[in-house]
Amino acid sequence: MIELSHVTKLYGTVIGVNDMTLALPAGAYGLLGPNGSGKSTLLNLLTGQLRPTIGSVRVFGESPKNNVDLFRRLGYCPGSEGLYANVSAYEWVRYLCQMQGMKSSVAATAAHEALITVGMNEAMQRPIASYSRGMRQRVKLAQAIAHDPDFLILDEPFNGLDPIGRHDMGVLLKNWIAAGKSLLLASHLLYEVESITDSFLLISGGRLLASGTAAEVHALLVDVPNEITIRTSDPRRLAGVLLEHEITDSLRIDHNQLVVSTRHPGKLYQQLPGWLAETGIAVGEMHSADESLQALFNSLLKIHRGELA
Amino acid sequence: MNPSSVAAVFFFEWRRAFTLARMGWWLALALFPVLIISMIRIALRGEYMPREAWTLMLFTLIPMLVSMLGTFLWATPVVSAELERKSWVYLAVRPHGTTHVLLGKYLVALTWALSAALVGLCAAVAIIPDGDGLQIGGTIARITMLSCPAYAALYLLLGTLFPKRSMVTAVAYTLIFELIISFVPALINTFTVQYRIRTLVFLWGDMTTDPEMNSLLTFIGEPPAWEHVAVLVAYTLVLLAAAVGVVRGREFSNTEESEG
Repeated sequence: MIELSHVTKLYGTVIGVNDMTLALPAGAYGLLGPNGSGKSTLLNLLTGQLRPTIGSVRVFGESPKNNVDLFRRLGYCPGSEGLYANVSAYEWVRYLCQMQGMKSSVAATAAHEALITVGMNEAMQRPIASYSRGMRQRVKLAQAIAHDPDFLILDEPFNGLDPIGRHDMGVLLKNWIAAGKSLLLASHLLYEVESITDSFLLISGGRLLASGTAAEVHALLVDVPNEITIRTSDPRRLAGVLLEHEITDSLRIDHNQLVVSTRHPGKLYQQLPGWLAETGIAVGEMHSADESLQALFNSLLKIHRGELA
Repeated sequence: MNPSSVAAVFFFEWRRAFTLARMGWWLALALFPVLIISMIRIALRGEYMPREAWTLMLFTLIPMLVSMLGTFLWATPVVSAELERKSWVYLAVRPHGTTHVLLGKYLVALTWALSAALVGLCAAVAIIPDGDGLQIGGTIARITMLSCPAYAALYLLLGTLFPKRSMVTAVAYTLIFELIISFVPALINTFTVQYRIRTLVFLWGDMTTDPEMNSLLTFIGEPPAWEHVAVLVAYTLVLLAAAVGVVRGREFSNTEESEG
């Protein structure tokens, strides 16, 4: 579905995307990266708004620049708002459907259905200026799906949505994936992507840090220490116990918390209850940030920066 | 090219253009020639003014001022307004996107400016004395129908070439090329719209071109008139094609300035 071959995008002397090579089959992917990491540049390359300075971009085997056939199969919801204030959502989505090449009556039906799908039944005839941020976000999604594309590209679609809106958006996207359609969801918030798909691309500084499922990326991190935080009444004594059993790579005491870095988290989880029982040390809470994608992201960034071997 | 998509843009943009501010501008443009002609009539206090003078007055007011200003206001910001609003991206990923949007908006700019110019001309002609109004009006209307499309295409191209400073660039271009260089008796002035429409007003207005009678002779072209009409039509089409080419080839994304 997506093929990038040594793609570099330069804005003068600033690098937007740096020597990115990638081949993705049809499916659902999360594009993760902090602000300024090159996500939007990558999306603009995929949607043909930018041309790579070096390398080639192919979507469905074709160059996206001014590609009429590809644009019929593509739905794009950009991160920026960019809506017209004095027209209704219905008028705007219908207009964009007409730009897809639909006849007026067909565009009207498609716009109506898309707006109902995103939950804008009541407000679709009101001027966009009167909408909340969440409603605008829904309208943006409606224009992306109204022409029933094969491949949906969303840039930060959860921005501005309330919890119900986030849930509804999540359900909609899961249904989209379940219908066998492709999705590329860009976000800087990992839990948003995790809830939709477990296949992701992680970029930072315009470079692709990792791609694959969460498990595959975990495999890359097998030698990377996991960080576990233990809240205890006696962190110094517990630190001594852990050092005695040589299970940690590093320790840090932070008030009544002990932050442990270890390459053997399984062994630690297995043996810690016994050591606590022997020593009588009370533990109030224990959690590992490394069980989430956030940990993978942080670790990969550290590897990329050369902070971890 | 899909005419129905161009029409969709045209009607959508017309609907959006019905704002108080834009209608106020339209009214101001349409009424300005009437106001000036009325003031001249009051100043003349019934004295005779030759037909040539009325023709040149209306030429200055309608095909020059109203056409130029009207198309400047509507055609120049076609791309920059979408970029500033960040709505361009929604159009750029459509099969019938950028080209159709550009042409649809061109037609909107043209109809807004042309309607203001022609309404203003009709009202101004109605208050011109001595029954010369209809003849003068016919001449000026024909020239207006050539100048508006040409200026709209010119400003459209400038707007696509310089989207970040479109209005400033268009003002600078107008002052330098259309209002100064068009009077330079050299090859370069033949590339201006002003030179062509000025020639046409002399040819179609049956105005004398005797050097001793008219100092403007050195600033106007030779007959035949059809040649100037053909150049204006070709100029319009070439500028439009160039604007479409720029829009299709150029990267308008502002990702560099954005966060992602």
